Amino acid sequence: MRPFAVGATAALLSVGLFLALWVSPPDSYQGEYVRILYVHVPAALAAYGAAAVACGASALYLWRRDLRWDFVGRAGAELAALFSGLTLLTGMLWGKPVWGVWWAWDARLVTTAVLFLLYVGCLLVRDLADDPERGRRLSAAVAVLAFLDVPVVHYSVVWFRTLHQGPSISLQGVKLAPEFLLPLAVNTLAYLALLGVLLAERARLASLEVER
Amino acid sequence: MRAWRRVVAVARKDLLLEWRGRDALIPAGSFGLAVLLVLGLVSGGGWEAAPPALWVSLLLAAVVAAGRGADREGEEGTLEALLLYPGSREDLFWGRWLAVCVLLLLLGAGLWGVQVLLFNAPTRGVGVLVLAGLLSAFGLAAVGTLLAALLTHVRAGPLLMPLLFLPATVPVLLAGVRLSEAAASGAPAGPWWGVLAVFDLLFLLVGPALFEVVVEA
Repeated sequence: MRPFAVGATAALLSVGLFLALWVSPPDSYQGEYVRILYVHVPAALAAYGAAAVACGASALYLWRRDLRWDFVGRAGAELAALFSGLTLLTGMLWGKPVWGVWWAWDARLVTTAVLFLLYVGCLLVRDLADDPERGRRLSAAVAVLAFLDVPVVHYSVVWFRTLHQGPSISLQGVKLAPEFLLPLAVNTLAYLALLGVLLAERARLASLEVER
Repeated sequence: MRAWRRVVAVARKDLLLEWRGRDALIPAGSFGLAVLLVLGLVSGGGWEAAPPALWVSLLLAAVVAAGRGADREGEEGTLEALLLYPGSREDLFWGRWLAVCVLLLLLGAGLWGVQVLLFNAPTRGVGVLVLAGLLSAFGLAAVGTLLAALLTHVRAGPLLMPLLFLPATVPVLLAGVRLSEAAASGAPAGPWWGVLAVFDLLFLLVGPALFEVVVEA
């Protein structure tokens, strides 16, 4: 199962990269910079997915005190920090040429930054706690708190002010030409598969660390 | 002992220690004052800069004030003794929460007064401000109480407190600023009462539940 999952993810990522760099045409407004979005949007989705996994697994750990949930929760928190950091970085690289600024005080940017900071805090709490058992418990509490807080942060910043374009894909329909939709869809799938593989590998590593 | 009496006993103990030592309110208040002064200086000190300055100074002062009760128990090792008493640990949370609420309301009132003087801010809409202050204090005290307990047994806990507290309480900051502006101008408050209410509801529900897990020996 493991070699298959890793191989399939690598293949998906390669196809995604190929579609993003060679098949996708440049956008009429963003030009070649549209290619950054094939990393940016999937990374953002992976960050929120990782945060959701971290929250769910942490809540289960606090409830059942089964170490396996802690391994998943820890992997989720680390990947939430990693992918939200990647989202911020790619967003800034894209924002400078397209918006003309590295950073804008928009709801999604601020929410992602808050998510990043809270999960960095979550990881620090685990590492700096007096003993490992306490670290597991405390960081699980932070992971739950962070995930529940993020929607409230998001909506409060939306109402404060906003600049980010509305979602291009929603339940109302897709406002995206097919030649952009395909690379985006494949890359999203590839990043979610990558998230799954990294979650499993990181959780396995954590369990090996405990066994040792 | 009934639950509410345990809550009042814990709050009374915290406030009595504070009254005798004044080691949260005076440092936190002075710190808030310093923040207000610095923000006024760099922003030019016009009245339109008053709401953001007030709420930022209050939030930063809250970081200092909320951590103090837990520090005290960490230093003296009294939390273990408190945990040995019979009854629910939630009562401990609510007692601590009540004491922090009182401190935050005192801090808020003081900083508001100074802000009126420093920024020549209008004093209209005090009713709105009082309600906004109360609702904010409820939520901030819940987050502060939970995080303070969480970070008691973490190295560099006082450094992690602002890292977790400030991002988590962004909604209170934004709602407070907009409600203060609305109070001053008489404009409608928009969705901000709702934001405060949802934030309070979330942390008043999640806070006690996570607190129990966090203080386990």
